[in-house]
Amino acid sequence: MITRRDFLKSAALAIAATSGMPAFLARAAAQAQAGDTTLVVIQLTGGNDGLNTVVPYSNGAYYAARPTIAIPRRDVLPLTEDLGMHPALKPLTALWDAGQLAWMENVGYPNPNRSHFASMAIWHTADPTQAQADGWIGRIAEQIGDPFCASTPGVTTPQALRASDFSLPSIGALDTFQVKLPQGVEGAFQQLMDAPRRGEAEYLARATRQMLQNTARVQQNAKRYRAGATYPDGSFAAQLRDAARLIAAGVGQRVLYVSLGGFDTHAGQRAEQDELLGTLAAGLAAFQQDLDRQGLAERVVVMGFSEFGRRVAENGSAGTDHGQGSVMFALGHAVKGGVHGDSPDLEALSDGDIQYRQDFRGIYATALTGWLNLDAREVLGGTFGGPAWLA
Amino acid sequence: MTLPPHPFPLTAEDAAHFLRRTAFGPTDAQIHALVGQDARAVARAALTFRGQGAPDNPFDPSQGVTPGAMLQLTRARWLYELLYSPEPLREKLALTWSNHFVVGTDKVRNGPSLAGYLTLLRTHAATDSFETFARAVAQSPAMLRYLDNDQNRRGRPNENFSRELLELFTTGIGPYSEADVHEGARALSGWTFTGGRGTRQFLEAPRFVFNRQQHDDGQKTYLGQRGAFTGEDVIRLAATHPQTATRVCFKLHRAFVRDTPDAEAVEGSAATWRRTGGNVRAVLEELLSSAAFYAPEQRSSIIRSPVEFVVGALRSLGAPRLEAERVLSLTQTAGRMGQLLLQPDTVKGWDGGRAWINDATLLGRMQLAAALTLGAKAPRLPAAPTPLALLGQAAPLPGTERLSAAQRTYLTLISPEFQLA
Repeated sequence: MITRRDFLKSAALAIAATSGMPAFLARAAAQAQAGDTTLVVIQLTGGNDGLNTVVPYSNGAYYAARPTIAIPRRDVLPLTEDLGMHPALKPLTALWDAGQLAWMENVGYPNPNRSHFASMAIWHTADPTQAQADGWIGRIAEQIGDPFCASTPGVTTPQALRASDFSLPSIGALDTFQVKLPQGVEGAFQQLMDAPRRGEAEYLARATRQMLQNTARVQQNAKRYRAGATYPDGSFAAQLRDAARLIAAGVGQRVLYVSLGGFDTHAGQRAEQDELLGTLAAGLAAFQQDLDRQGLAERVVVMGFSEFGRRVAENGSAGTDHGQGSVMFALGHAVKGGVHGDSPDLEALSDGDIQYRQDFRGIYATALTGWLNLDAREVLGGTFGGPAWLA
Repeated sequence: MTLPPHPFPLTAEDAAHFLRRTAFGPTDAQIHALVGQDARAVARAALTFRGQGAPDNPFDPSQGVTPGAMLQLTRARWLYELLYSPEPLREKLALTWSNHFVVGTDKVRNGPSLAGYLTLLRTHAATDSFETFARAVAQSPAMLRYLDNDQNRRGRPNENFSRELLELFTTGIGPYSEADVHEGARALSGWTFTGGRGTRQFLEAPRFVFNRQQHDDGQKTYLGQRGAFTGEDVIRLAATHPQTATRVCFKLHRAFVRDTPDAEAVEGSAATWRRTGGNVRAVLEELLSSAAFYAPEQRSSIIRSPVEFVVGALRSLGAPRLEAERVLSLTQTAGRMGQLLLQPDTVKGWDGGRAWINDATLLGRMQLAAALTLGAKAPRLPAAPTPLALLGQAAPLPGTERLSAAQRTYLTLISPEFQLA
């Protein structure tokens, strides 16, 4: 618990901390924009198998290609006459029934790369040529002009949140996200931080000053949150809970970034993916309930992706190797529920993989213009179209 | 081409720099022992491993009654070596290799597998044959399990290891095609292990086996060559590819020279690598005594990882004895700062550099520094470490002169300068 005295101390540090920040960020540094919309991005790391997520249960080619790991027709949660959700996604059926869950079929990018890391970099930079190093959310921060408009509840900063000379904050755990300097060193600490530096030392000093400011901003507001749901155990749900707390605190978060890893299902896929999709669905259902009960749901949209899908045919170890094209999802009151886009043609494969039809940047573009009210062209470096997945 | 040597006897600041890079952090006595010595002799001595571990390591993974407890003990056993081993460079190299030939405890939850893997990393820490090292790793049960090659069978290939062998462990993206990934998987089919499977066998030792029935012995085309390649052939072709020299030397420069290596210097090391047939020891000896290594602009150009931060702080404090529970909890502390030993987020390993630094991890470093210097359980020190030991420079940091020794040490540990090596 932070006391008023602690807060004043950290706020005083934070004020001094703005010096040395990139100029465009310093201009807008303290603007918490209550009432703005928030986008929560969910990353499924490892290459989630889209075909076993939104299952083409009327398609014989699907069952022929996957004798061991296909989801039996009787187990799917039907969405349409041809498509059904993986049974582990059951916690999301209420959202589907309420028209608040959208699935985007067959999403990918040109010249697909089957490397996890190259492919993830493409999704993070929104640049299939891999020429850019900055993340698409880093560019959002530059457009908004606020160093705290996007963050991730976790201890690693995804490339999506990096910009040329700063990274957006990672908030390990909200409860401990505060600076408590030991007594008697405040003045010396200030003097230490103010010393002129170059190179990596300057980068570290700037990162420290920015952290002081971010912690002060969060702790000033974090107590506004009252839990509206019981979250499941585990770090994914804990990150979503911290995301809800940040939104409730109204500290100006426009984008929050949450990851769930382990989707690299080369062997024994059913057990692994079943568990992961269950974790995903239970976490998201709790998050949505929490936002609903707090009256925040109107302000939040969730959008999820993975770096690629899997090969259509299963391999010899009841798993799947790296493929291309997968499903994306979105949920929230502002989402236009339903399945958007055509399902992949399983009779017309490219080297054993589905051929994507929807460029992921078209899905991003909708989130940028339709939800965050930003210039998508500037963030994405071009104009991209896609289905109208926002209501 | 080769890397020009550092031509001068080591000064105190040179020695501190060498030890900050190769031994996590030095004491004054360790620094002064190297002053005036020849750079090559210093590098050679540091790379001479007698296989001595830390005396009386109290952690024994086989005493873990559950897989989770076994993993905790495995991590603590390693952290203890990192903190107290008389051969810190060997541990630093093992840490570096664990971030190259990555395995993760999300999948490898078998004690003997992990112990065997760590033994391999130490045995080959400064190997004279990268190919031999790569083959040993590829045949280790830990790697066979982590990248599923134990499931790779004739006619039913599993490509996971074959892909990462090229993309991450040897050539890197560029010199190979998707077809090479497929063909490599065929050649590696049949490499598997027996024993130690399942959650209850987490203390049973597994053993590499070649399952001839499951090996695809047909013709393959791999990296431009054609033949009835075996797994050994594929490892050799990948490990001895010219691009592998560049790629692995880049990583060695990242570990020892700077976070953003100089391409020309990397090529100097790669030339030595190719000339010596992948002799990592020769490459390291040259690198760690080179003018490039000692150049002033390379000092403080590597952001310490969380484990390097923890180990560097304690070694600079004179490696005070910590209670076993404290060592166990420090492994978790490093995890909360982004580096849980043997558990990087992905097979690519930790990105390092600026990726170590964000709000959450900076806070973690501040909290740990306070605990090590000002906390109720802070280790008692005979003397406060000097700026030379902590920072590699003789002058104290501005603002710290009038503080108590503990306060000064605390502020120094959280300074940008200490977080760099």
